[in-house]
Formats: sequence, structure tokens, C-alpha cells
Amino acid sequence: MRIPTLRTLFGKRASAASPPKDRSSVRVGIPKVLNIWSTHQFWVGFLTALGIAPENIVFSSDTSEEQYREYGKGRGTVDCCYPVKCMSGHYGELIFGQKKKIDVLLSPMIYSLPSFLRGHVLDTLTCTRVMAGPENIKAGFLKERDVFAENGIRYVSPFVSLGEPEKVPKQLYLALKDVLDLTEEETARAVEAGYRALEAFNQKMRQKSREILTWCARHERPCILVLARPYHMDPGIGHEIEAELQAHGFPILWMQYFPTDDDLMHWLFGEEIRAGRIKSPFDISDVWPSSYSSNTNEILWGAKVAARCPWVTCVIRFSSYECGMDQPTYTPTQKIVEASGTLYFKFGDLDATKPAGSIKIRVETIVHYVEKYSRDIIRRKLAALPPHCPLLEEAPSTSESASLAA
Amino acid sequence: METIQRINHYTAYRPRPFTREERATVTILFGGLTWKHERLIQGVMHNLGYKAQPLPNITRADLDAGKELIDVGACCPTIFTTGNLANFLKSEMAALGREEVVKRYVFLTAGACGPCRFGQYHESYTMALDGLGLRDFRLFLLAQNQLDQGATHGGGLEINLPLSLGLVWAILCADVLTDLEYMTRPYEIVPGETDRVLRESIEYLYDVFRNRPQEKLRGGKLKVFAWHVLTDYFTDALRDVRKRWDAIRVDRLRVKPKVKITGEFWLQTHEGDGNYNIKRWLEQEGAEVIPPPIAVWLDYLLHSPITSEEWKGAERNRKKIALIRTLEHIYHFVYNRFRKALGNLPYELPDQEELKHLAKPYYHYELRGGEGHMLVGKALYAYRHKKAHMICELSPYSCMPNTMSIGAMANVLGRYPDLLYAPIEVKGDAEVHALSRCQMILTEAKRRAHAEFEDALAKTGLTLEAIRRYEERHPEVQRSTYRIPHYGYAGTAANYVMHLARKMR
Ligand code: SF4
Ligand code: SF4
Repeated sequence: MRIPTLRTLFGKRASAASPPKDRSSVRVGIPKVLNIWSTHQFWVGFLTALGIAPENIVFSSDTSEEQYREYGKGRGTVDCCYPVKCMSGHYGELIFGQKKKIDVLLSPMIYSLPSFLRGHVLDTLTCTRVMAGPENIKAGFLKERDVFAENGIRYVSPFVSLGEPEKVPKQLYLALKDVLDLTEEETARAVEAGYRALEAFNQKMRQKSREILTWCARHERPCILVLARPYHMDPGIGHEIEAELQAHGFPILWMQYFPTDDDLMHWLFGEEIRAGRIKSPFDISDVWPSSYSSNTNEILWGAKVAARCPWVTCVIRFSSYECGMDQPTYTPTQKIVEASGTLYFKFGDLDATKPAGSIKIRVETIVHYVEKYSRDIIRRKLAALPPHCPLLEEAPSTSESASLAA
Repeated sequence: METIQRINHYTAYRPRPFTREERATVTILFGGLTWKHERLIQGVMHNLGYKAQPLPNITRADLDAGKELIDVGACCPTIFTTGNLANFLKSEMAALGREEVVKRYVFLTAGACGPCRFGQYHESYTMALDGLGLRDFRLFLLAQNQLDQGATHGGGLEINLPLSLGLVWAILCADVLTDLEYMTRPYEIVPGETDRVLRESIEYLYDVFRNRPQEKLRGGKLKVFAWHVLTDYFTDALRDVRKRWDAIRVDRLRVKPKVKITGEFWLQTHEGDGNYNIKRWLEQEGAEVIPPPIAVWLDYLLHSPITSEEWKGAERNRKKIALIRTLEHIYHFVYNRFRKALGNLPYELPDQEELKHLAKPYYHYELRGGEGHMLVGKALYAYRHKKAHMICELSPYSCMPNTMSIGAMANVLGRYPDLLYAPIEVKGDAEVHALSRCQMILTEAKRRAHAEFEDALAKTGLTLEAIRRYEERHPEVQRSTYRIPHYGYAGTAANYVMHLARKMR
């Protein structure tokens, strides 16, 4: 019962059109940080469509204390949340820690995101630290001397509004044209390829989640939903807390890849739409009117889903130390989830060091509660929904049977 | 329907409407700016028939109250402002009873700012209301980038041009007067005179806004707009204010470092416990402070959509850009008229394009949240144009955008090591630490101010005695409203010496 996490699929090749220019030997390093975790397939699709060889697209490793100690120490310019602070280590690893040197260090300033909630919320902006992180971190590599240039690396940090695809070709063209010798047309084509790759990946992940949920529905088994920012999938940021729960036999779903199929959404939210409480299943104005921030919006939406979906009997919430975006959401998220009796546990203040001892104790508590109360929670939530659950009405898919057999 | 009844799902706070009929009995509470800005805003509200009242000045007790009521980890502006509202409501409840408070007041706050917590302040306010058992208290959001939002929330408040233009004009007037205040007080010969004249001026301007002619506020939007832009109503009033300031005598031979305040919007604007009263403290330590006008923030809000439109690049977008640029020209025209009415003493607004250009290698101008690229841009602007000896950037503890731009400043300082920059983290309760950090850099700024002054004396060959003699013969140069041009020095005293040397020639 293992859903492939973003981490295990990170960097897998996306299909691409044939490249017009030979860029196959250019090596591009991308720090695997922040919202690269939810858009990496875009970057892989984009770069391969431009003719960069897949093996020359290098992501930095998962975050670790060693990485920071070895490559990032002394380069931090300010104290802030760990997901941003650790970026120095990622930059440093790409500059100093590669057997085969990279030519370009690509660290996009991602301003907005292509969220599935777009159109239903006020905006899908990234956290202000996510978008500005590269400007902060690069300062540590430039303040005394130009470390990039010294190492023969072109540093490039395009400002990119991934939530507004019509702007992206021009943004990437202007930022990268000199570095990769681009034309406007090929940039536009590569951007399309990037979006296609991202969409395909997201679909695949949602499909996997649906299979898990279907299995839970058929077997009346609980699952646990993770509410977190995409970079909490990084073992150095989220400390793999969910994996410890999974080891106890509970399937884990990440909110980012919760299935969004019409049938399921209307089963969960249809009554509320008919009652005029919300306009669509992705409308979160009933719980979060200031819906500007993409990752925050998705967390709030995930909380709503968790409160309704019967087999999600428990939510675990991750939050990094000093996260300013999460702070105002703590109470609303908990209230949304708990309104239906769903269990809610928060792991806050996550930092560089894994608090192994306290995680162990809390995991045991969670397991105890999930085992004890899930049956009741499922029954109560099921009773509050229309009778025909789409998950129970569909025939088991081949892939589901295969994965379950495995 | 049956299903929804069985599980009572959580819903966010929704205020009940504030109706038109309630206008005469319900008081609109607001806050977050200086007492000067708030008093003039109150004048605008009274002029339009609203009952309005600013919240009391922020105190340390507000920080404690805020911390108690909202989730941990909030930035200090959120905590202070939430606590401020909560403490006011608590004291009113004690005096009037809960029901009366709910009936008698509504709270209006700016919102809709996007990526940082500024766009989510009201989530904290509502949490505080829950904590106080006041969920039925009404709290409304005012989008700060739309001048005409129509009648909202039951029609009790109508966000139309007479209101919005009144608010903007009030803010601009308070800004230019604040400039005057800070450039005068450190040099005043009679202690306390500046503050007295300032209070009188603000009261006078309150009446000016309170009495905006009603007939000019009626009719088409264009007519209302044109009247505000072209009328002498406000400039005449500012000229009257200037006459009051003529009477203040100053001694510009006091050599003082000029300290430009930048930082997070609320923290830099604030005057009080919320930022350790740092502007007054700097004055006591011998500095002249350049306060941050809200006008620059409004200019930034006006200017920033241009780039977004440029990316789209269609004909429609080009037209929009042309419209924004026209509005910007009008905005600067109005601000400059106000400055002129005060003898061109208040500082000019920096050109947004220049700020953008200066910040570009260090901080992208489309990055939103807080003051965006402006913190880097303003520091470089002051440095390049020799407007200040030192930058004091006020950064709220745990502020998201500010931590990013302060980090980027490391790159700027690498390139300009002689730029004096003091980023001060403000927690609200760690005053000694913050001020002593500022003190260290201020010492160097003082040294520079003195060096400049000596340089000006040496260059001109003037002596202090000769200057004093000249002042006796020409008392007008000691008026606070006597304008000293900029001769390439940051400090007032050095520029004063240069100016008198020319006059004496
Ligand atoms: S969302 Fe939170 S953890 Fe992520 S970058 Fe922003 S402040 Fe840091
Ligand atoms: S700019 Fe910083 S201090 Fe101000 S509201 Fe946003 S996060 Fe808080």
C-alpha cells in the first residue's frame, strides 16, 4: 500500500518535442527547494523540450543538516524559516558538490502557481519568502565575491508567474535567452511542453490517490491525509513523519494529490453547492475568504475534504518553525477538520533536526486514536453524505488490483 | 439538506450587514496609522456623515493582549493591532456592556494585499473576537487599491470617490506635515514649539477636511475627481498652516546625522510603543529623522500593475498602462502642489522607476509582500543622492518579506560597504537590544555628519561666529520654513553653511 511520493518520482523524464538547437551538453542545476517540489515536472519538461539532455538536469539532493554544514554554512544572510534557510546548502551543493560541473544554476523566483484551485480562489500566489528566497540566498554567494562566476557557472533566476501561463513564455524567454541562446517560439513551445508534463504527472498522482481511496472505501479502512506545503515531502524538511505512520499500515495521502474527479467532488460537496453555501467543490470562501496564497488555499481546501471524506479519519498537519503563512491558518484548519469528528494532529515548528523521540511518542498516540475511532468516524461521515459513493460503484481498475496485490 | 444538518461544518466569520440607517448611531473604528493621519481621516469621515473614531494609540499592553488571543508566531504588527482592537473593545465592554459595544461599533481595516499576512490580518482579528466572545461584532475589509467599491456590507459604508479621494488627500496632507515636523523639531530653539504648532495645524486641517464643500462632492465621478485635483481648497489651507510654522525659530547649526526610516509598512509609519518609539528616540540621541511618507506606498500600489500589464502586452494592456501613467502624473502633481504650499520643504516622492532600477540587481521589483523591492531601492536612493547618513530599517520579528529583503541587502552592502544600514528587528518587547544595535551605527553616522560640517566650513571659509552674525542680521534664515537647498551633503547643518556662504557672497 505505498503511494509513490513526489520524492520517489522526482526528476523522472517528461516527454518532449525534438530540440531545434544542440544544447545536449549544457548542464543545468536546479536547487530542489520550496515550490520546485510541486513544479519540478514543469522544469524537466521545459528544459528537455529545449534539448537539454535529461541526465544533464541536475537537482540538488534532499535537504539535510550535513548538506547545510558542508555547503551552506556562513552563507545565510538572515535568520528565517528552515525551508528558505536550507537553500544555501542546496546552492552550495550544486556549485561545489558535483563531480561533473554544472554550467547553469537555475533558481526560479516562482511568483504564482498553477493550482487546481485557480479560478475558484482570489489568487494562487506563492509565499512571499518562496518567491523572494532566491534573491535572499544568492546574496550569500555574491556579497564578498561572485562565487558563481568563480566556478564558471551562470546564475539565472527567472521571475515566473506559473499561475498565469500566458505570461510565462515571455518571462522565461527574457530571462534565459542569453544563457541558453533561445528564440521566442521555441521558448513558447517548451513552456507548453512543461505544462503538459506537469499536468500529466499531477493526473497520475491523483489517479494513484484515487486507487488508494477506493481500496479504503471497499475495505472500510481509514487513511491519513497530510496537510502540508509541498516541500514537506522533502525528508529533511518534513522528516518523513508520514512514513512512520505508513509503517503502521495506514495508507497516506497528500492533499496536493487528492483526487479531484467530478464524481467524487460532487458526492462530497454537491449538497453544499445546491444549498448555495459554496459555488463549486473548489470554492473555499466559506472557510477562508483571504484566498490569495496558493499553498495556503490548498491546505484549507484539504481540510475541507478531510472533514467530509469518510475514509480520511485522521489529518496530520506539518508546519515549519517560524512559518508566517501557516500561522493564521492553525486554528481555522483544526476547526474545519474537527467539525466532523475527524482526528487532527499538528507537527509544528519543524526545523533542521528531526525530533525523533517526540515523533515516536506522537506516532504511537496517533496510531492508538486512529485504530480506536476510525470505524465510528467513517460511519458518521458516511451517514452525512448521499448514498451512492462513486468509489464503491466503480469496478476495480487493473492497476489498482495490481498494486494491491503487490 | 438533511446531510448538511447532520455535520455542522466550520464556516469563517461573516459580519452581519452595517446598514445605511445605522450610520447615525454606529461608530466606525479604524487605526494603524499615526495620530495625525487618523485625525484627518476622521475629518473626512465626519464630512461624509459617518461617526468615526480612531483606536487609541498602541501600547505595550496591546502586544500582551494580542499574544493571548491569536495563534503563536504572528508578526508583531499583527499582534499589536489585534491587541489594540481587543483592548479597546474590552474597556468599552466594561463601560457599556457587551450588547451595546456590538451595537455601537464596527471596525474597518485595510486588507486585500496578497501574499503576506497583511492580506490576512482580519483572520487574526476574528480570532480575537472569538476569544472575547464577540463573534457578532462587525469587522469590515477595505481593499486599498480600489477607489470606488460601491456600497458594501449593507450600505452602511459607501466606498465612493468622495470617501476614497478624501482619505488619500488626508493621508497626503498628513504626510507633508509629518515631513515638516521631523525636519523642524530637532532644531527648534524653544522646546515643545514644534509639537504645539503641529497639533494646532492638524486640528485646523481636521476642520478643513470636515468642511469639504458638499456641493463639490456631488455629481459625476469626473467632476468630483477634477475638483480634488485642481481646487485651491487644500493648498490654501496648507499655506495657512505654513504661516503658523513661520513663527518657529530653528538653529540649523546643530550638527545632526540624518537617519532615513524604512521598513515594514506599519512599523515604519507607526509612532509609539509598537516600534519602541524609535523616531523620538533617534531625535533624543541627536539625529534628524526622515520619516517614511505613506504617499510612497500609495505610489507603489499605483505603479506596480504596470509591469504585469507589460507582460501581457496586448493593445488593451497598453491602454491600461497609459491610464496608470496618467494617474501617476496626476498623483505627483497633487503631492507637489501640497509640498509647494508648504514652501517645498517636504521631501519629493522618489521616482518609482528609479527605485525599481536601483533595486534590480538585488531584488526583483515584481516580488510582492511588504514593501517589496522598495526597501533596497529606498536605501540606495538615499545613499546615491546623499539624502541621509544612515538607513534605519524597521523589520518586524518573523515578518516574511522583510527577512528576504534584509538578506538581499547583504549583497548591496558587499557592493557599497560605506552605506550605513541598521536593520532593526522589532519584537515589541526587546527594546534595549534593538536600540543598542541602532546606537552603534548612529555613532558612525554622527561622525560623518560632523566631518561633512567641518568640510563645508573649510570649503567656504566661514566661521560659526560669522554665521551667527549673519543670522542676527537676517532672522528669516532661522525660520523653520526657510528652505535650505541641497548642496550635495546629507546633513542639514552642512547644507546650511553652504547656503549661507552663497548668500553672503
Ligand atoms: S510558507 Fe512558511 S515555511 Fe514556506 S517559505 Fe513561507 S514562511 Fe517559509
Ligand atoms: S509585511 Fe511582514 S510584518 Fe507586515 S503584515 Fe506582512 S508579514 Fe506581517
